[in-house]
Amino acid sequence: MMSTSEVIKLIDTTRCTACRGCQVACKQWNELPGLRTKNRGSYQNPPDLGWNTWTLIRFQEYVNEKGTFKWLFRKDGCMHCTDAGCVKVCPSGALYHTEYGTVGIKKDLCIGCKECTAACPFEIPRYNRRTDKMTKCDLCLTRLQANQQPACVKSCPTGALSIGPKDKMLTAAYDRVKVLGGDANVYGDKFLGGTHVLYVLSEKPEVYDKLPKSPSIPLSVTVWKDWLKPLTWIAGGGVIAGSLLHYILHGPKRPYPEVDQGDHAERGK
Amino acid sequence: MPEKGMIKATDLFERVVHWMLAGSCILLFITGLGMMFRELNFIGNFMGGLVGLKYVHNFTGIFFIVSLVLAARMWWREAGKFEFPDDIEWIKQAGGYLWRVDHVAEAGKYNAGQKMFFLTVVGCGALMGVSGLIMWFPMGLPMGLVRWMYPLHAFGFVVLFAFFFVHLYLGTIGSPGSLPAMLDGWVTRAWAKTQHPKWLKEMEAAGKLEVYGEEKKEAVSH
Repeated sequence: MMSTSEVIKLIDTTRCTACRGCQVACKQWNELPGLRTKNRGSYQNPPDLGWNTWTLIRFQEYVNEKGTFKWLFRKDGCMHCTDAGCVKVCPSGALYHTEYGTVGIKKDLCIGCKECTAACPFEIPRYNRRTDKMTKCDLCLTRLQANQQPACVKSCPTGALSIGPKDKMLTAAYDRVKVLGGDANVYGDKFLGGTHVLYVLSEKPEVYDKLPKSPSIPLSVTVWKDWLKPLTWIAGGGVIAGSLLHYILHGPKRPYPEVDQGDHAERGK
Repeated sequence: MPEKGMIKATDLFERVVHWMLAGSCILLFITGLGMMFRELNFIGNFMGGLVGLKYVHNFTGIFFIVSLVLAARMWWREAGKFEFPDDIEWIKQAGGYLWRVDHVAEAGKYNAGQKMFFLTVVGCGALMGVSGLIMWFPMGLPMGLVRWMYPLHAFGFVVLFAFFFVHLYLGTIGSPGSLPAMLDGWVTRAWAKTQHPKWLKEMEAAGKLEVYGEEKKEAVSH
């Protein structure tokens, strides 16, 4: 089923019934523990993504401008960006692009510096205090490599989740949007070099909780990695070169000999 | 070894704090570079891997903050405030480093250049400490704030890294006679008169100058 070319996982939110089978399957396959949570009056549980929750169905009550109530379900998780902020900042190479275009994570290389947390426009990577490492969805890389679907896709009973070659999934997403009409749109192909997780949304992106309208690599990451980082060698090298030039062309600043002589004269008195 | 007639420029506490700050700063540079550049990841090999390097960096950071507080308290009075018009005059002459100056402007214990260096180290050092601690413990803080700690940390590093080499040059071959001030603390009278004439005059006038081979007049402490 899966070749080694780029893949896309399509999340058709209009087909999601919020059964949360994908949440459970993800925990089961990746051996992530369930932690006790409190009833906050919402089916959304746990309340947020975490080191032990790599995917989560967000429940949202939405009333549109016509006064129609809608219950929106969105499966949140790593978007597997092509221009991935996390890969860009990771100091150890723990975060990397796999042969499928997805973003994998090499646990043994992760040093728990948390730099990726601040680089991700979706706030996906989470820190596990106990292991001192970051965690996130890797789109079940080992399953892909064994020609299997990711656990979440495998578990989905309604067809809201599917995975396949990039072109095929893009076409499928746009075909679906055409059928849905209205505000329905494809989310994910127009930014960050195209993500490897694609949404079909029934509403405009800005309607959804915790979903950036037009995500990009944060400006802070650009300033940090593209401007200041190269400046290290320019500034350091410039100063060293300048110092050497000063030494050769001008010479060091020695104590004035006349001061020395005057001093001797003074002391001779 | 000091010779007769040499002048005590720094006391032991000053030198210890200086080297605490310098040592931690250099170790932070090396370990920081090991994380900033993938090509320099190998530096972690000497510290039990990159995780070990991270912890060396973080805990050296704590030591650096302590050293910085001690240094700032110790040198603030002498290097934290500019004095007019001498310091302006000194800056106009570039301290006599770039072209020949007949009479370098009167400089106290620290000249305008050293004051600028000191204030930069204190300012950028504080920035490194605050941003570093937030990077280490970002939990609970707004992401918009945490995000900017990384470029701020990198900015402080670039400034300190460049200043480090200026300091290294002027503390050694660029200004012969300066290094002993931070080794055993004894400098020649000629060096003191060239570099810090006002300080020399004031110390002599106050009878506080410690001259090797002469009876110590009065202990000066911080």
